[in-house]
Amino acid sequence: MAENNSDFEPDIVAFLCNWCSYAGADLAGTSRVHYPSNVRVIRVMCSGRVNPLFVMNALQQGADGVIVAGCHPGDCHYMTGNYYARRRFNLMRNFLEYLGVEPERVRMSWVSASEGTKWKEVVEEVTEDIKKIGPMDKFKRRQLNW
Amino acid sequence: MVDVNKLREIAREVISREDVRELIGYRPGTYGFRARPAFVMGPDEVDELIFTPACVNNLASYIALEEKPPVRRGEEPDLRKVAVMVKGCDSRALVQQMEEKAYDRDQILVLGIPCTGVVDMAKVQERFPDVLEPAEITLEGDKFILSFNGSKEEVPGEELLAEKCKRCRYPTPLVYDELLDEEVERFADDDYSDVEALENRSVEEKWDYWEEKFSRCIRCYSCRNVCPMCYCEDCVLDRLQPMWMRRSVDISENTAYHVARAYHLAGRCIQCGECERVCPVDIPLMELNRKFYKDVEDLYDYEPGTEVEAEPLLSTFSVDDSEEFIM
Repeated sequence: MAENNSDFEPDIVAFLCNWCSYAGADLAGTSRVHYPSNVRVIRVMCSGRVNPLFVMNALQQGADGVIVAGCHPGDCHYMTGNYYARRRFNLMRNFLEYLGVEPERVRMSWVSASEGTKWKEVVEEVTEDIKKIGPMDKFKRRQLNW
Repeated sequence: MVDVNKLREIAREVISREDVRELIGYRPGTYGFRARPAFVMGPDEVDELIFTPACVNNLASYIALEEKPPVRRGEEPDLRKVAVMVKGCDSRALVQQMEEKAYDRDQILVLGIPCTGVVDMAKVQERFPDVLEPAEITLEGDKFILSFNGSKEEVPGEELLAEKCKRCRYPTPLVYDELLDEEVERFADDDYSDVEALENRSVEEKWDYWEEKFSRCIRCYSCRNVCPMCYCEDCVLDRLQPMWMRRSVDISENTAYHVARAYHLAGRCIQCGECERVCPVDIPLMELNRKFYKDVEDLYDYEPGTEVEAEPLLSTFSVDDSEEFIM
């Protein structure tokens, strides 16, 4: 698998919280920071909104990796949403690893509205890691051709 | 062992009470060594109640799952208690349900059975197939005595004991109104060796293992239906809008199903082992649940179903929760 991965471009789904991480990614855009275009952003109101089954669903639908990003602990717009998310994703990540999904595929990060460059670093790191491990083909949903 | 006469006597007393609607217990099954749940509505029905190592069912499932039809106009709601016989593990299901505010403590009356272990019916079936006449299992010392067709067989406890009993931390019920026997000493502890063995495999090996297991799944949802913690009236699996996972039986949807089922039991599963017992294709579901059980204990120092007053794990947080995995 590793040999022909050089031209593999992963699809990464990112769930970004409206108040910090989405603004952070927006800042990266407005400050013309270059980062890999493999990431597809879904804006959610809070990282606590992200159901762990969203991650499952993304992986089923062909995502090679998932990033969940929210405000730094203590900075949540809704006070505590990211704390709940942290508990959930710690368990979810461990569990997916237990099933045989590489832990590099499911990542969580804190990106604040002023951290455009951190967002860039996160995306670069995740993209690079996933390029190394190759496409996610374990339980991709079968496409129906009608 | 519980004295069956004492059990019936207490059951008769309980069901005769004004404030008790029904009593859920065990009675002999229709064939072989099996026992089945008994729903006792009056004092004349208590004489069939038993408790033997064949009483494997977790009766806590019935309490939260009971359908409560709307009360008709002019009628008073039935507020009488439901009495239930529980083993140590089953009592933890009650505790966890009460922790989640599924019902109040005064809505149930608990007959606690200090449990010395139940059999694994699959092992009994394997060893003594074709026993169709009603037969009996009793535990004497550390041996199971199986009586059938007029003969008696002794089997060392280890060989027939259910896996969950070999690592049982709470043999005596944690909540009860009446205790039917002497308290049982904690006889085992859990070292998670099975979970750790799987954790230490490589990513590819793990997926090969689970792929084979999940592809066997026929999506009968028995594991969900029997689970005492799966009592949501509106389950994500039944939802059509949004459809969380499709109904098709293939590796993608089966994996999604098993992740969803196990995740919804994270910090809630009390390890009664019912899901694994009812699985018609022998998927080791407890290995999934036990992974969460272990993680929850390691990371958050939380053990589900041990304290009624505790807060459910995933609806609380601590500012100091582990952050190692965050980039």
